[in-house]
Amino acid sequence: MSIEELAFLALAAVALVTAVAALLVRELVHTILWVAVFFVDISAIYFLLEAPFLGVLQLGVYAGAVTVLLLFGIMVTRKKIFSREAATGITAVPLALAVVTFIFIVAAVGELPQTSQPVRSYDPTFLSENLFNTNGPWLLLLGLLMMGAVAGSIYLVREGRE
Amino acid sequence: MTDLPVVGFVALSAALFAIGLFGILTRRNFILILIAIEIAMNAAILNFVYFGAFSGGTGGLTGQAIAVVLIGFAATEVAVGLAIVLALNRLKGTINVAQATDLKL
Repeated sequence: MSIEELAFLALAAVALVTAVAALLVRELVHTILWVAVFFVDISAIYFLLEAPFLGVLQLGVYAGAVTVLLLFGIMVTRKKIFSREAATGITAVPLALAVVTFIFIVAAVGELPQTSQPVRSYDPTFLSENLFNTNGPWLLLLGLLMMGAVAGSIYLVREGRE
Repeated sequence: MTDLPVVGFVALSAALFAIGLFGILTRRNFILILIAIEIAMNAAILNFVYFGAFSGGTGGLTGQAIAVVLIGFAATEVAVGLAIVLALNRLKGTINVAQATDLKL
């Protein structure tokens, strides 16, 4: 087993543990800490897959911006920041649904090579060319969506509602 | 050039998506639901990146470009979600989704 495969197994284990812990701990601030570790872990997986630009983007957008936004959301919505959530037990139906979804996805993907495959690395210059030429419309769509989101967010939180 | 197991990545993202789905279905706090959605979204974005990385030609770059756009989508979604959290908190005094029943008959 190569060092990359070991690194992947370790990163996958950390991703699963932090994702479960984020949803099961009862203090919301601890949830944010777990989910921040999860985002950094996913960015490490991007670096492992030879996608450094995406890794940096994941660190900046998710581990940076989204985490701080979520913390801000907690800060303004509760009187005591470290208060505990009411315990919500693990109910059978959603758990069964999640397990069925997992099995369904793995089964639906179908035949995959069972051995390790080489990962191709790309020059980031070609990524920018692909992003702005071939997939340019998607980027424009993202800009339009963000404009709409800004307008919508301001409408939602404006003063003098009701 | 590094060698990595394809099946492991499919299993990882499927498991992460299942965890996110479980969180969306069971949690009652709006912020926790947003976090569960983010976990599921990350699992989906991971798919584009690794199927791109294992494919030949320029397919890998298309996968990465779509992943860049999707990361932007997810960040936008969190921003709007938190605006809804703030509005809900102002109207109801709580961010428990079980209390948001204004549209129920």
